[in-house]
Amino acid sequence: MVILIDPDDDGYPVGLRDLEDPPPVHVIGHLRQASGVAVVGTRRCTRYGTGLANAFGSAIANAGWTTVSGLARGIDGHAHQGCLTSRGHAVAVLGSGVDVCYPAQHRELYDTIVREGGAIVSEYPPGTPPDRWRFPARNRLIAAMSVAVVVVEAAEQGGALITARLAAEIGRPVFVVPGDVDRAASAGCNRLLKDGAHPVLGPADLIDELGLIIGPPQTTPPAVGSPLPISGVPVEDLPDLWGVSAREALIRVGLMEIRGEARKEGGMVFPN
Amino acid sequence: MYAATTSVALVGGEVRPVEVQVHLGAQKDLFKLSGLPDTAVREAKDRVRAAITSSGIRFPNRTVTVNLAPADLPKAGTDFDLPIALGVLAAAREIPRPARAVVVGELALDGSVRAGLASLGAAVLSARTGSPCLVASGVASQAAVVPGSRVFGVTSLADAVELLRGGEDSRSPTDPEVREEGVSEPDLADVQGQATAKRALEIAAAGGHHLLMHGPPGGGKTMLARRLPGVLPPLSDSEAVEVALIHSAAGLRRGIVTVPPFRSPHHTATRPALVGGGSGLPVPGEASLAHRGVLFLDELAEFPRAHLDTLRQPLEDGFVTIARKGVTVRFPSDFHMIGATNPCPCGYHGDSRRPCECRPTEIARYRQRISGPLLDRIDLVVKVGRVETMKVGGLEGESSQTVRDRVAAAVAFARSESTGQLNSGALAMVTRSVEVGLLTARGATRLARLARTIANLALDPTADEEHVAEALALRTEW
Repeated sequence: MVILIDPDDDGYPVGLRDLEDPPPVHVIGHLRQASGVAVVGTRRCTRYGTGLANAFGSAIANAGWTTVSGLARGIDGHAHQGCLTSRGHAVAVLGSGVDVCYPAQHRELYDTIVREGGAIVSEYPPGTPPDRWRFPARNRLIAAMSVAVVVVEAAEQGGALITARLAAEIGRPVFVVPGDVDRAASAGCNRLLKDGAHPVLGPADLIDELGLIIGPPQTTPPAVGSPLPISGVPVEDLPDLWGVSAREALIRVGLMEIRGEARKEGGMVFPN
Repeated sequence: MYAATTSVALVGGEVRPVEVQVHLGAQKDLFKLSGLPDTAVREAKDRVRAAITSSGIRFPNRTVTVNLAPADLPKAGTDFDLPIALGVLAAAREIPRPARAVVVGELALDGSVRAGLASLGAAVLSARTGSPCLVASGVASQAAVVPGSRVFGVTSLADAVELLRGGEDSRSPTDPEVREEGVSEPDLADVQGQATAKRALEIAAAGGHHLLMHGPPGGGKTMLARRLPGVLPPLSDSEAVEVALIHSAAGLRRGIVTVPPFRSPHHTATRPALVGGGSGLPVPGEASLAHRGVLFLDELAEFPRAHLDTLRQPLEDGFVTIARKGVTVRFPSDFHMIGATNPCPCGYHGDSRRPCECRPTEIARYRQRISGPLLDRIDLVVKVGRVETMKVGGLEGESSQTVRDRVAAAVAFARSESTGQLNSGALAMVTRSVEVGLLTARGATRLARLARTIANLALDPTADEEHVAEALALRTEW
């Protein structure tokens, strides 16, 4: 069911009123007044970005806050995914009609967000196709609906940098994850840092920083220093990480899998 | 006037005797050949006539009728030259009838004998029947490796005539060649890092498990696969002969080599090239050339699905059956399959440094190109990541020799002891992995099989929880 909420309505997302021209929004699912944190980045992400987006989404959910992103491929999708894995509140802001799932492969993600109590938001009427020119406008909603924006991985050009700029214009703090200086996929992030954005060194660091802005998280974040980094490790890197033989590492992974402590996905091992 | 000599045909991996019957009829300059000869066999007529004349013997001025029996079996190759020539001479009473000897060899026009592809087959038949065999002298010592064979090398038709006139006792059989025991295969120690993949390779070798490696280009998948023959236990003499015979049937020369074969067909290979076929007498394909060795399918997802599906019979049964008009051939093809594939069309999905250019649907479609039934027969799936230059060095790898010794010990152990049990804890773990949804019931059977191999490598008669855990970690999803 699609609900249309006007800027004057009670349920209108508070942050959107900071925009010069707050638009009415179409919503499927449930919005909450809890503080939202946007996690954005490139559609063409590396494993570095994939793991971190998941981890940020998950950490924000664990802190009791809402994860806001754009349902796009890459960083957006993984941030939503991480949030849902930790049973958090996910909000996806679309550049198409609220009932149009774009990209189509994210249908399952789209449905899960609604089913798990999250919300799909758009300023466009139902049925609006996903035209490219609408995305920058969508990005201003993502920025405004959040109390802070995290840029996980972004190349020199792309929507994530637009979101970051729009966020800064309406006074939202922009947190940026640094990347290797020679990696194109992180060039935009590093540029933002050079231009004065706040560096953030991981999910735990983000929660600490945000705690100062929006008050301490409702729940304690997961313990740091677990045997597996939350962003996942390629199976083949585990012997080095743990300082054991390949055989020993494989035995540990198998045991963790069967105890439900870890899972394998595409050759990567993630903690559960 | 009539005489017969014995020669051989290779049918599949089998050696079949062929009786070369020669009849001399009325005085007329005619040469007839029957018994389903191919073009090479049919041309024997000209070579035989020239070789006999060049050897200073008069070619009988009669109707020569040659039949290669069994007449309904297609014959190929040039190895019937010498037996036909000797048959003609025997029928003309120029030489005693060489009925017992197995004779193969191609004749040059000057009467010298060149090696065809059947010399090994002749030696095998010699060993089976106890008869001596005559082969080209160049390959005699190689053929003599066949245990129980008596091989005589001949340099020319005149030489063969002299041998037959003098009788078998006039010479002693050729000694088998002395083979180098050293293995000149690429060594596992040359591969930096990749400890997990090396461990998977060792387990694959010890248990005959098929292996799938996935990872970005340049990770070393091919390098690793190329090293599997070097960690497999060396072939016994009879296995090496079996392998060499299959190669002969495909028109390839392979000595009696104890290093298991390594075949790496390109993904554009045709179906007959993969599993065998061809018109006339079927020829073995890559699946059989890899018998007792390694079939490496690089870029597995690029192979047409229909082609991969033809590999299901050899993967299941260890042989390929090809039926043709008049003849059904069974080629042995019991091999270790290694597949290698990129994770996605661009190759960089999940890479630490380069973004993947592919859409999720493209990735899904790419993965589906490897058919389920084929994947069902692959017990081990391992990711081969890119080795970061920083990590290169450090713990350096074992040599192929060290790993091969462990594999040989495990294989021997599996045969000798009453191995293969899972203890109660291990069984509970297998059951549990199905309950928590990590595996299907079929996956559980394969998990248990993998765990048994891992236990064998540890020379442990029963598989325990650790063995199951390691097996579980190597059953990565694809």
